[in-house]
Amino acid sequence: MRNPVLAATAAVVTLMFAGCGSGSSGSPDEIRLRMIESLTGPERTKLIKSLIADFERANPGVTVELISPPLDSADQKITQILQTKKGLDVLEVRDHTAKSFSNNGWLAELPTTGWPGWQDLTELAQKKAVEVGGKAYLIPYGFYQRTLFYRTDFGMTAPPATWQELYEAGRKMTSGDRYGYSFRGGKGGADYAVMMISAYNGDALNPEKSFYLKDKRTIFSTPEATQALDLFVKIFKETSPPDSVSWGYPEMVQGFTSGVTGMLIQDPEVIKTVEESGVTAWSTAPIPKGPTGYAYQPVGYAGWGVTSFSEHPKEAVKLVQFLSEAKQSIAFAKGNSLIPISRQAQSDPQFSQGAWKAYLQAQQDPKQVITIRPVDYPGWSQFLVDSDRDIQALITGKKTTAEVLKAWDTFWVDQAKKVS
Amino acid sequence: MRTFTVRRARFIALCLLPGVVFVVLFTYYPMVRGAVIAFQRYNLFDLTSTPFTGLENFRAVLAEDRFWTALRNTGTWVAVSLFFQFFLGFGLALLLRRHFRGRGLYQAWVFFPWAMSGFLIGLLWRWMFNGQFGVVNDLLLKAGLIEERIGFLASPGWAMTSVIVANIWYGVTFFAIMIMAALQSVPGELYEAAAVDGASRLRRFWHVTLPHIRPTLALIVLLRIIWILNFPDLIYAMTGGGPAGSTDIITTFLIQQVIGGDYGRAGAVGLLILALLLAFSIFYLNATRFEKAR
Repeated sequence: MRNPVLAATAAVVTLMFAGCGSGSSGSPDEIRLRMIESLTGPERTKLIKSLIADFERANPGVTVELISPPLDSADQKITQILQTKKGLDVLEVRDHTAKSFSNNGWLAELPTTGWPGWQDLTELAQKKAVEVGGKAYLIPYGFYQRTLFYRTDFGMTAPPATWQELYEAGRKMTSGDRYGYSFRGGKGGADYAVMMISAYNGDALNPEKSFYLKDKRTIFSTPEATQALDLFVKIFKETSPPDSVSWGYPEMVQGFTSGVTGMLIQDPEVIKTVEESGVTAWSTAPIPKGPTGYAYQPVGYAGWGVTSFSEHPKEAVKLVQFLSEAKQSIAFAKGNSLIPISRQAQSDPQFSQGAWKAYLQAQQDPKQVITIRPVDYPGWSQFLVDSDRDIQALITGKKTTAEVLKAWDTFWVDQAKKVS
Repeated sequence: MRTFTVRRARFIALCLLPGVVFVVLFTYYPMVRGAVIAFQRYNLFDLTSTPFTGLENFRAVLAEDRFWTALRNTGTWVAVSLFFQFFLGFGLALLLRRHFRGRGLYQAWVFFPWAMSGFLIGLLWRWMFNGQFGVVNDLLLKAGLIEERIGFLASPGWAMTSVIVANIWYGVTFFAIMIMAALQSVPGELYEAAAVDGASRLRRFWHVTLPHIRPTLALIVLLRIIWILNFPDLIYAMTGGGPAGSTDIITTFLIQQVIGGDYGRAGAVGLLILALLLAFSIFYLNATRFEKAR
């Protein structure tokens, strides 16, 4: 190339793209996998890295580079990388991203036959692995199921079994700077309203499509939904700190551990946080029920998947399987206070004693029902954003119960038409 | 001679090339792509079919009350933040211009916020303004200024005030830095001449300092308006646009479209912001040019 400008251009472009390649390796025999996590946190990342180190020791010649983007923007980052269809082999897939990722052809189907680890997965783990289109696009690493945390030093002898009892107990606890309930009014707040509305709809609800009743109407269209949402507002106004209009996860937990609130409904990962906080007088119970004796909640989950464009699919699958096998998955569930995916964990004392007992109780109660939310409907992500704002508008008096329920009903009636 | 000029031009082009490639790849390409997406049905849920839908995304956005609320909030957010940032920054610059012991250290300390990420600042202020555990409430209670805790981020009126206070704290230093630089560029002889003519300090400021730094002020005010409008980080971390959209500005509204997975609508909002800023910049530059010509 005699023209220096052309030569320089080629050099610059080559240098720029050299850093963008995927699966590039230092030596010809080395295989480098790139893996990205979504629900990042310092301790969790450390744990994943230690499991990866075990994998690398068991698989000489394979190295894994872990990418840990900031929690708040992780899913957007993952989506951006997936859109380029390069530079990624293994990724964390969440319940609400599984459908869109697979729809867009970004996930590879994982082999389940011929892998002994599959048989060791609990029934729930197997079910959730193939929830999207009947194909295993991810292997869950654990489950997030909510439970009621309550402080026994707040004068409570027995936990509330219904939402009405929770409201009454909360009122008793509320005085001065002390409140009954850690209300979630910020991001994710609408989920709690939906949980109450579901419980109030009782056995009319269709657990497989939990925003709809068995007669195909939405759960937001019934008089019971109005009762539930009215009580939801009362719980906020009469038992919760006014500031909780903007509380998210950290404030809720901080409220409970600092002694500002006496009750909290949260995922099992809070068990570890409460244990480490120094609070000693506390216990857990299954989430409250509605008037007909039913409680509904989805089980949140996430897992590991392999990209459809991985340059090393064999090794990527091997890594996912390694992380999902009993030893690693139990270590991960313990480290993150998750409900484990391995059948072998049932004999582990950690998961059958103390605060974990409430989960076993819930599992044994046929009226504590696990539901499936319509995460696979095109408007799901939009609803998450809009419904949280509606809840804030409701509890700050900018919208009425009727307006919120009407809007949600219209939205999901429209979604049903789009899907059918 | 001609060969030398051609060679020189080639050399300059060569030096500029990496920059041009980067700008095209990382600024203009995403911008054009975003503009195209604004006219497509581009929902993250299903990217296998992304047909062109004309102005549909714009119609949907403009039909939303939330968009107009966000637009009104943007006006408050920019105007109030800018007003206080400017005047406090100006005051700070005048103070820091003076020579005193430890000035360098003091300057570094004052300018420190500017070096931090907006999102991080938002998180810090979110905890400071927390109604139950926040330090602001504690201080006000201990000082006897309030009798009960204020839900700074819980009530719509307080929430907007709180995010603006945080933004003022953040942006004052920018004005202080820029105005201080402008002040240092005023020739000392002008002040000496004015002093000889018997001008008071106020008259010197009004007739010497201000005219000299006015072009810089006009430019930094324009820049700051654009930056404040495009600064959702702090609001997003502090309130997420809540409660009930009361702190939503047009750029947090855009983020919500992205999180909702509707990139088409997000693209439309992006283009509307661009049009708004472009129209404002043209108006502002014309207005300040007129001022200069007069």
